[in-house]
Amino acid sequence: MKPTIGIEVHVELKTMAKAFSLSKNNFNDEVNTNINVLDLGYPGTLPRLNKGIIDFALKACLAFNCKINRLMHFDRKNYFYPDLPKGYQITQQDTPIGYDGYVEISNKKIYLERMHIEEDTCKSIHTTDTLLNFNRAGVPLIEIVTKPCINNGKEAMEYLEKLRETLLYLGISDVKIEEGSMRCDVNVSVSDSDKLGTKCEVKNIGSISSVGLAIDYEIKRQEELIKKGEKIVEQTRRFDDKTKTTILMRYKETGNDYRYFPEPDIPFVYIDDEWLKEISDNMPILTDELKNKYVELGINNNNIKTIISNKNICNFLESVIDKCNPVIASNLLTGDVLSYLNKNIIKIEDTKLSQDNFIKLVNKLDKKSISSKQGKEIISIILENDKDVDLIIKENNMEQISDDNFVIEIVNKVVSANPDSIKDFKEGKDRAVKYLMGQIMKESKGKINPSLANQTLIEVLKKS
Amino acid sequence: MRYLDLDIKTINEKLKNKEIKPIDLVNEAFDRIEETNLNCFITLNKEDAIKKAKELEDKEVDNILFGLPIAIKDNIVTKDLRTTAASHILEDFIPIYDATVITKIKEKNMIIIGKTNMDEFAMGSTGETSYFGNTLNPIDNTLVPGGSSSGSAACVATGITPFSLGTDTGGSIRQPSSFCGLVGLKPTYGRVSRYGVIAFASSLDQVGPITRNVYENALLLNVISGQDKNDLTSSNKEVKDYTSLIGKDITNLKIAVPNYYMSEVIDKTVREKIINIINLLKEKGCQVDYVDIDYLEYAIPLYQVIALGEASSNLARYDGIRYGLKVDDFKNVDELYKNTRNIGFGNEVKRRIMIGSYILSGENANVYYYKALKLRKEMTDSFVSVLSKYDLIIGPTNTDVAYKLGTKQDDALKSFYDDLLTIPVNMAGLPALSLPVGYKNNLPVGMHIIGNYFEEDKIYQLASYIENNLKEEK
Repeated sequence: MKPTIGIEVHVELKTMAKAFSLSKNNFNDEVNTNINVLDLGYPGTLPRLNKGIIDFALKACLAFNCKINRLMHFDRKNYFYPDLPKGYQITQQDTPIGYDGYVEISNKKIYLERMHIEEDTCKSIHTTDTLLNFNRAGVPLIEIVTKPCINNGKEAMEYLEKLRETLLYLGISDVKIEEGSMRCDVNVSVSDSDKLGTKCEVKNIGSISSVGLAIDYEIKRQEELIKKGEKIVEQTRRFDDKTKTTILMRYKETGNDYRYFPEPDIPFVYIDDEWLKEISDNMPILTDELKNKYVELGINNNNIKTIISNKNICNFLESVIDKCNPVIASNLLTGDVLSYLNKNIIKIEDTKLSQDNFIKLVNKLDKKSISSKQGKEIISIILENDKDVDLIIKENNMEQISDDNFVIEIVNKVVSANPDSIKDFKEGKDRAVKYLMGQIMKESKGKINPSLANQTLIEVLKKS
Repeated sequence: MRYLDLDIKTINEKLKNKEIKPIDLVNEAFDRIEETNLNCFITLNKEDAIKKAKELEDKEVDNILFGLPIAIKDNIVTKDLRTTAASHILEDFIPIYDATVITKIKEKNMIIIGKTNMDEFAMGSTGETSYFGNTLNPIDNTLVPGGSSSGSAACVATGITPFSLGTDTGGSIRQPSSFCGLVGLKPTYGRVSRYGVIAFASSLDQVGPITRNVYENALLLNVISGQDKNDLTSSNKEVKDYTSLIGKDITNLKIAVPNYYMSEVIDKTVREKIINIINLLKEKGCQVDYVDIDYLEYAIPLYQVIALGEASSNLARYDGIRYGLKVDDFKNVDELYKNTRNIGFGNEVKRRIMIGSYILSGENANVYYYKALKLRKEMTDSFVSVLSKYDLIIGPTNTDVAYKLGTKQDDALKSFYDDLLTIPVNMAGLPALSLPVGYKNNLPVGMHIIGNYFEEDKIYQLASYIENNLKEEK
């Protein structure tokens, strides 16, 4: 039996203003503060068009290899619901801004049917009464619809992760599923013939991993029904987080009639070459390109994964990567820096860490002018204090001594004071070197470059 | 002495030399409302108008419309002044913002006397679909004043205000202007902002001036025109001085008369009046030719599909949730919608919402709506082609003169036929004016002057010539 899955994703765009009004686009502000007469659907109001939403959608089109409808318009989708202030949603039915795109995952391409711009509805709050928060009314969305070409939960998860990551790197959305800025609906069907089976939709699933679980559960459920000879009835279901199963919400009504027609209040939009060029010239580096670059730079796979999934860390790395050793930089960022951020639940921008200071530190480590232990001490200081790294090293006497003459002097002094250890060394006892190194470190008050000292010690011992 | 009967230039002089004050004009307007009983107004703005008039006493008379009373059709929103669209569903609706045209007339210190009666949501051509009762024709109280801008026309015709604003979706300025013997203009689509105009059919609606004469009409168009960031369909075309061609020689104007506009569907006397004008213009030396314009005969079905389709969507927002009428009697949200809209809308509005919803429903959208858009394009191209060879198109505004109240209420289709000659102009988005050019049985006959896009000035040029050179007794 062959399962077929299609996914619809709604993504909130983080433009300054809403899609068709000048209200601030921030759902999280105090309830019903980012609203105006247009968001409330007052009589006589007319939509404006925030060019930013088209810019953002174009970025997504380019990132997902979509063809672009150069001459596009908006349509009205008419239906009654309390969260829909005008009695219609402004969306794109006939001319989605993007179509025929794809997203590459590890073993295949996930084909996109279309990507279109639309406005969000109010947020209903159900208490004893139903209350409405209009902060969300008119928030810009893009809807990305795949072709039915996904075969299992794992592929779906990989697709969604890639989609999320890319949208995040495009800088056009927060893509937080738990906060609703990315919403996933999946259509699952199973067939034992060449024809597609009857699909069931699972709506508003709360996380990417739940999407995987929901799909695999649905496939199993439908397969069992088919095996029993039962008919699949088209329906809408929801995923239950506790039981990890899908639950029937309602049977699909036949023929939803949205009475689409072209929105007469917004003239057609023509996306000319100049506009498109401006967008493509300003595309940020996306994750595939970053991954390849990091591999070439010798950063290990675990670090690459960590960096890519922490966009702020990645941005920081990108801002210093040409000026210091990328491997050392990535180790510091994914290690000490990230654990500090996680511990304090803050972002890298919220710390005192400056690019200049970080570069200095990496370069000191690179030249082995300080030990890695000292590096850890310094990073914990400069995360909380913008004190210059050179100054910290100086004040704390951290500078390692790599001067040959000084090293030889100290080594000779220690060796000649410990004739027994020379004997032990000649007899092949390992502890002699360890003991002597300890004495050398003590004599130099910990400032000597340990690897240089070790090298010199062995030479001296061999000659003795 | 009734100052409001004087021409605007004279009133302006008297205001300037302090012979009269704005309050005198405001008082006179309200006195006339008392004297007449035409049901022109849904809401009077008396207190605020008097206050405004007094404030103006300390101000310099800085423009020709300063301090003059104006009446506003009740589908144009006015801040803090009730705006109902003549519907029960908005009976208590007090807007919190001004339409762009209102902001513009307030900037000129015109004084809003009140909100005029109209067909509910501008759906009708008699004024009879108003929730607040029909308006009477000031010439003969047993006749319809025309609609949907019924109160805006009747109030100027009876001399309450020299100016009013109407809206025109399929003839709603021109037809009542014609029935009341006034000058009414529907500007080019996009010339005047629709922001704050309660939408009927978004791709056809346009605000325009209704006045006693051509010059004063142009004066008001000067004020309300211009691009508006709040209306994406408003044009960035430069606003002209629309009075500038008035009085200029018309000899070189080339004029077209569509054969359809002079066909048997038009009353014979009405046609004769137009022929008189054609002869007048020919005598003056104008070239006047009969032409064919394609698809004019489809105007009414075209209107029913496009206007009613859009209307069904535009009126969806009146659902009892956020503003306007909300019934107490409901058990769930579907009942709230049904009961509110059932009580809130009148029969004509309900009928049009149903037709519009049907037309856009499922496969019908392709059968009707998208086909109508194609036909609309064809008709527009045909107009454009004629206007590439001619300066103006003339004909009658309506098929006949004003008729008895109550005659067309039984037949839902009949009232559309009033707009047979006006609808094509809205479909093409062209500017057009109705000008009184004579009488049939003492009732005014309106002539239609249709211009090319944004050439309202040329329409006024011809209209003014005819106004000054046509001498006809009742």
